[in-house]
Amino acid sequence: MNTEKKIGIFLCECGGKISNRIDLPQVIDQLRYEPWGHLSLNPYPCLAPGLAAMQQEVRDKGLDRILVGGCSSRLMKKRFTAGLAPVGIEKHQVEMINLKDHVAAVHEASPQELARKAAALIAGGLAGLKLLEPYEPVPLTFAGPALIVGGGISGFAAARELARQGMESIIFAKAQTAERVLDELHRTFPGCRLYCEDLAELLREVFTTPAVKVLPEQTVDYIIGGVGDYHLGLHQPDGSVTEVAGAAIIVALDQEFGPADIDYIGGGERVCDLLDFEERLVEGEEISPGKIVFWVNSPQHGQAVQKFAAVAAWRDSLMLARENPQVKPTVLYPANIALPLSGADLVEARVHGIGLQSYAPEVHPVVQSSYLSYVSATDHLEHELEWDTLVVPGVPRDPAAQAQELLRWLPIYPENGGRLKKSHIKFWPDQVPDESLFFTGSAGGICDLNDVLQQGKKAARGVLRLRDKAVQGKLVSPVVVHVDKDLCEGCGLCTEICPCGGVEHVKPGSGPVPRDVDNHLCSGGGTCAATCPHEAIKVLNNTAQQLEARIKAILGRMQENEILGFVCGWGGLASAEQAAVKGLTYPGGIYLISVNCLGSLDPFVLSMAFLNGVKGIMLAGCTPSHSCHYAYGVDHCWQRVNIVKKLLSLAGLERRRIAMGYVEVNEPESFVRMVESYMEGLEKLPPLPRDDKTRAKLWAMHATLHRPRVRWVLGTSLRRPTEKEFPGSQFNAVDADETMLEVLREEYTVSRIFKALTDQPLNPPDLARALDEPVKMLTPVLTDMAKEGRINIKGWQGGYPIYAMTKS
Amino acid sequence: MIPFTINGKEVQGEEGWTILEVARWQDIDIPTLCHHGAVEPYGACRLCVVEVDDGRRSRVVISCMYPIRSGIKVQTDTPRVANVRRWIVQLLLDESPGAPKIQELAKNFGVTPSRFKKEGVDFACHLCGLCVRACQEVVGVQALTFGNRGLRKEITSPFRAASKDCLGCGTCIYVCPTGAMEQVYQMVKE
Repeated sequence: MNTEKKIGIFLCECGGKISNRIDLPQVIDQLRYEPWGHLSLNPYPCLAPGLAAMQQEVRDKGLDRILVGGCSSRLMKKRFTAGLAPVGIEKHQVEMINLKDHVAAVHEASPQELARKAAALIAGGLAGLKLLEPYEPVPLTFAGPALIVGGGISGFAAARELARQGMESIIFAKAQTAERVLDELHRTFPGCRLYCEDLAELLREVFTTPAVKVLPEQTVDYIIGGVGDYHLGLHQPDGSVTEVAGAAIIVALDQEFGPADIDYIGGGERVCDLLDFEERLVEGEEISPGKIVFWVNSPQHGQAVQKFAAVAAWRDSLMLARENPQVKPTVLYPANIALPLSGADLVEARVHGIGLQSYAPEVHPVVQSSYLSYVSATDHLEHELEWDTLVVPGVPRDPAAQAQELLRWLPIYPENGGRLKKSHIKFWPDQVPDESLFFTGSAGGICDLNDVLQQGKKAARGVLRLRDKAVQGKLVSPVVVHVDKDLCEGCGLCTEICPCGGVEHVKPGSGPVPRDVDNHLCSGGGTCAATCPHEAIKVLNNTAQQLEARIKAILGRMQENEILGFVCGWGGLASAEQAAVKGLTYPGGIYLISVNCLGSLDPFVLSMAFLNGVKGIMLAGCTPSHSCHYAYGVDHCWQRVNIVKKLLSLAGLERRRIAMGYVEVNEPESFVRMVESYMEGLEKLPPLPRDDKTRAKLWAMHATLHRPRVRWVLGTSLRRPTEKEFPGSQFNAVDADETMLEVLREEYTVSRIFKALTDQPLNPPDLARALDEPVKMLTPVLTDMAKEGRINIKGWQGGYPIYAMTKS
Repeated sequence: MIPFTINGKEVQGEEGWTILEVARWQDIDIPTLCHHGAVEPYGACRLCVVEVDDGRRSRVVISCMYPIRSGIKVQTDTPRVANVRRWIVQLLLDESPGAPKIQELAKNFGVTPSRFKKEGVDFACHLCGLCVRACQEVVGVQALTFGNRGLRKEITSPFRAASKDCLGCGTCIYVCPTGAMEQVYQMVKE
């Protein structure tokens, strides 16, 4: 079937915003030899009459892919997708080229000149669309209980909700009875005994219902599988591993509190930690009468923790005052936090004689015997507070070792400040499928017991939503990333690199088995595909081959002094588009190609652009670390660009032909400056030489980036999502870089020899002359290649072997 | 198909289409500010007013939300319409004299700043709601919302706190016609 004729192109005039600047009839003329089934010029394709006209064309001409040349795909793609859904066009079948913001509004050139650029960009889009593949979502089963791991209190709330809705669950918890859970509660939620009644009821229900199995916490050996079919390996005391299967996983992790640093205060029994104090309350010990001061300290842990501590202290003092009228508690808290207390709370405080006193945080309170002096935030005067017992709230601790073990298998990562976060990826909700991994508890951010129980309930609802979908047969895995099992050697680099948990783990010790993908978690960031040493992974309908085709098509219509610009879908693209909104202009010699994330750019795509004669490449992404929407995609891209730079200098070309830049979404001025500066720098450079020798070198460079060894070494040096600090740029950077260079030099030489021997069999001296390298550099490489059987000795001439390619 | 006329020209459209959509498809220019193809119409700026004669009487209505009906006569460029538009542009210009899009509109309508011009404000928000609509309809989250009512109505995030929902995608800044969104964005973004 000839599908090439089924592409429909719709160019938008945008009420003159595009048609006044770009000579659109000329664009149509320049596209006349491209393969399309329909090409038309519409005043406003995005409005109802336009969409109706498009639907008509799709029906009449049987179009199966659509290219709209108009404005921002970020903003408008949803509109076209929704408008064309009734005629069976899906999201991936719609491609948008932003003529308004990338061409019409930002360049000062003539309409004819801009028409050439517009036609080039559209031709690129067409080339990408041509390689579109059919797309069959895979239905998933969803059988078995929900596995609730981590031991957090929210797990019980989740289990109750699941049980009420008739779904079984297995919960792994330290405490095996409701009473034990309550006794341990203050370790994670100090001061929350006030809610014990409600919680006790919840726990009683969980521990009695047959739908919930409470098992003792066990060491996790592995977690494999994906949504609907998880397998949890549990380490047994006798060394064996038992496996538990489940349909979904809920991770309930709570932040534990450790004792505050009170040793420096001294004071023996009279000064104590809130945890100890609460334990005494629980045990029913008698509290000695007198003044008790709760001192909210530890500013180094941040305001959220202080606020939590202040509330805990307030609740404990309330509990204390209710039962022991002889004590007079006071809570001393820093003035820069707001106590979330209601009017009724304050009335109760007054009734029980609980003091609430704030202190100016700038001056640290000083402890004396029986007195605590602090500076009031209102009058800036030093006051003294008398105490008989001084209580200091505890401080949050790092997640326990058990939790750390869990995090090895799930895409939950530590953030700065000790919090945990479920993957760093920030996305539009409709760009990813339903949530399928649930993370609850105060480890994700300090919060109240009530909040945590709500989180648990919400997670349970999420699981139930998935179950209901499965019952209706609607739970399908959207194929985002596909692993070719024949090519995959099971090295596991992708699992390590993937920030979203999309590439599944395998059982430890199972050897090199091909990977599987949980597409429910996959974000389509594509750094796995760009990393894979054997090129076994592809992001469906967003493949490196499509990008290559697009680049080739655009380059074919570019002039030799023009350059390519890659922008990431967030920082780079947003800034480029806002430059147009703000009326900024920049030189028209840069052809922008947007990708989801710069991390999805395979290095061989960049070398391919050079092989096809581009003068220079600029890449604009988000600022590393904190604003990359795909965790460390931009870091990964930096490493790949760095490799291309090294290869460029090995090939005797200028390293500055490729450069990276960083912009935030709202920095169009910076983007324009970046483009201007890069193009100015390149102006002095000649276009890429097009002689045979340079082409051979560029070919070798391209081939080097396909070499599994190079890709492996590159992959190992990329930043892992678990790494808070980036060791690659910190530790022994020079040595690491030189090792990389060594590998590149070897593989580059191998590639050059390949290229030379493909043309004709040669002996070492002739080869050395052809490659401009000393013979002694080549002989060890040739010997190795001959040993591996990639080349063979065809004959002898003047004492030298004549090497030829081994025919495969 | 519903037949009617715009400026005397016989046109037709489907049930549910608006006057503005049909007019634009016919290359008839109607200025807009709060209308955007990506989101549902909202009718905040009133700049797209046209005169509609339905056979009984002639009224000035906003074309972006007025559904077409059989036999109506639409005039997009009468003195009455021009007068309304000029007043709207006048008020917009006095509100944010520095915004390029507003300046361009003012130039087209021959409007200059009046004695009610706001001092010290260049890019004031006109509450056109494009950012709020784009955030909800296009992005699919609710990081932006209207706060307060009446004279104190403003664009803000829910609870006026840095929003956990905000993805930092910048769509709101892209659609903002005045440039006032940039400041709000800094506040909303976590």
